[in-house]
Amino acid sequence: METPHNLSLPQSTAIAEIKDAAVHIKNLNYSFGRGDLCKQVLYDINLTLPRGQIVIMTGPSGSGKTTLLTLIGALRSAQEGSLRVLNQEIVGLSNRQLVEVRRNIGFIFQAHNLFESLTAAQNVEMAVELTGEFATKRDQATAILTQVGLKDRVDYKPDALSGGQKQRVAIARALVNQPRLILADEPTAALDKKSGRDVVTLMQKLAKEQGKTILMVTHDNRILDVADRIINLVDGRLESDETLDTFVTTHDPKVLDRRMFIL
Amino acid sequence: MLPPFSRRTPLAWLNLTHDRRRFVTSLSGVGFAVLLMFLFTGFKNALYDSQVQLINQLNGDIVIINRLKNNMFVPRAFARRRLYQAQAFPGVEAAYPVYLSDVRWKNPITQQARPVRVLAFNLADPVLTLPEVQANLAALQMPNTALIDERARAEVGPREAGIITELADREIRIVGTFRLGTDFASGNGNLIMSDQNFLRYFADRGPEESDRSFATVDIGLIRVSPGVDVDALVAQLQAALPNDVRVMRRSGPGDSLEAQEREYWRDSTNIAFVFSLLTAMSFVVGIILVYQILYTDVADHWAEYATLKAMGYTNRFLFGVVIQEALILSALGFIPGALVGRLLYGGAASVTGLLFQMTVDRVLTLYAMCFVMCLISGAIAVHKVQSADPAEVFS
Ligand SMILES: Nc1ncnc2c1ncn2[C@@H]1O[C@H](COP(=O)(O)OP(=O)(O)OP(=O)(O)O)[C@@H](O)[C@H]1O
Ligand SMILES: [Mg+2]
Repeated sequence: METPHNLSLPQSTAIAEIKDAAVHIKNLNYSFGRGDLCKQVLYDINLTLPRGQIVIMTGPSGSGKTTLLTLIGALRSAQEGSLRVLNQEIVGLSNRQLVEVRRNIGFIFQAHNLFESLTAAQNVEMAVELTGEFATKRDQATAILTQVGLKDRVDYKPDALSGGQKQRVAIARALVNQPRLILADEPTAALDKKSGRDVVTLMQKLAKEQGKTILMVTHDNRILDVADRIINLVDGRLESDETLDTFVTTHDPKVLDRRMFIL
Repeated sequence: MLPPFSRRTPLAWLNLTHDRRRFVTSLSGVGFAVLLMFLFTGFKNALYDSQVQLINQLNGDIVIINRLKNNMFVPRAFARRRLYQAQAFPGVEAAYPVYLSDVRWKNPITQQARPVRVLAFNLADPVLTLPEVQANLAALQMPNTALIDERARAEVGPREAGIITELADREIRIVGTFRLGTDFASGNGNLIMSDQNFLRYFADRGPEESDRSFATVDIGLIRVSPGVDVDALVAQLQAALPNDVRVMRRSGPGDSLEAQEREYWRDSTNIAFVFSLLTAMSFVVGIILVYQILYTDVADHWAEYATLKAMGYTNRFLFGVVIQEALILSALGFIPGALVGRLLYGGAASVTGLLFQMTVDRVLTLYAMCFVMCLISGAIAVHKVQSADPAEVFS
């Protein structure tokens, strides 16, 4: 809320800012399948995420939120429009090049996806090894696990951790390489109220300290307050794009779409 | 540039061993496939090796046999004067006659007659250097005595000194034992006796059997003087002696009695084919087992592998993990398989009297097969990992 960034980003934002944006999407369309089975799920998306902004994306189930996130994360290749991620155009990149782009992005999933066979530290170290910093991997893992409050759980295997702790290990793994962009898809969905809250506050704190851009999909309206900006995707189109304050005043809880805010 | 292996988190190893019980099961699976391969190749090799174990014990570099004796089964002898002729050649140190005959032996316990093979020679000739034979030479001088092979089949009854029973319907006393083993041509086992005793039993065996005398010899064994070119001497002898005999090296590749015997059994029987087929089937069973193991690992860690891809790991890295798992399985599964195989070789050898040899190169060949087996399974399973879609873990 205290962020000085331009929150309501029309397409006319200054060129300089676009160039420096973490994500800049223009006229993006996306369809699954081909021919008769072709089903368009994203329509003419235009979106710019400036550096350091925490953006929450909401929208009904099936509206295309996950699809948009995987496109930005270079997990799928887009065919139409323009998609610049961390100053690199990724429409038309080869699979190999997409893998390179992913290394600069931190992913947090609904499931923690930790290897049961690896300790918390080893799971995090798997990410560090991508950078080739083998000598310091243990220190880096310990440091980031300490930051997420798991200093005394460093050598525990996921089996011995609670759901919230596992998700914090996953966050540590996503953040350890200092990615400038973090993409999270319902990171709190599998957690209870308090752990969910803790995880999100933690992400907010780390992002603010290090000036990271976060794009988070969530159905959980209790965590909307961490956002600088809330965008709403309906049927594959960006319907609204507003600051938290406007969002709260225009979305009276009594008339809220129940599908959007599952309690 | 790859970092040293040890600096990477050993993901393959940790994934495989995380669930101890499953790991042990996996290793037993691989070990079982290895064991089957060991047994089938073991039987195949044993059948061939056993055919030549007597030949390999003969103490001479060159043999002379009847031209028609194209395997040890053929009871064709040749004229002893050929040996005298050979003995006159420079380079020939000595020529020993060896007599062979198949004959009925009565099991002293069950009284049932069983065919055995008798091996006879002049006790003054060092035809067999087996230590037990050397130690019993004096006892063998006595009439109607013989040594029995400890490794003869159980059908012949107790194989020990002191047995008195009948050979060709004539009393025989066993004065000692030796260790050789059976083969297809030896019936239920081998006996060793002096040439004098051989005459006692085989000079006059009734109307159906041919009479034996010192005039004919089954195998002529030639000791070569030190420093003589054996191959040249073989050629010389063959050229000089009449065509009713064949002269060849006793053992070794090429033209030798050992090679002839191996070839005969290879060409005239399907043993090799049958056991090779069984080995190939074990190999395929192994591939399926290992594939199951690796596939389960991949399927169970689907989301984690996809996450690794989302983080920026390449397909090649995941390929490496699965192949490493395959190699770990091949190495660790091979050890118990080979050890149990070794035990069973011992058991099979004592039951059948065949020669089960686990030589270094055979073990290495089987490991290579095990390795390739795991590699093939790994390659199939890798296909699965590569299709892990990083976008999937988001939905
Ligand atoms: N791999 C796919 N192949 C074909 N269609 C797909 C695929 N993935 C998603 N879709 C379709 O695309 C549309 C958007 O899906 P998406 O997963 O992006 O929705 P979402 O907004 O994330 O929904 P939710 O809130 O339930 O997670 C849906 O109609 C879905 O059925
Ligand atoms: Mg979704």
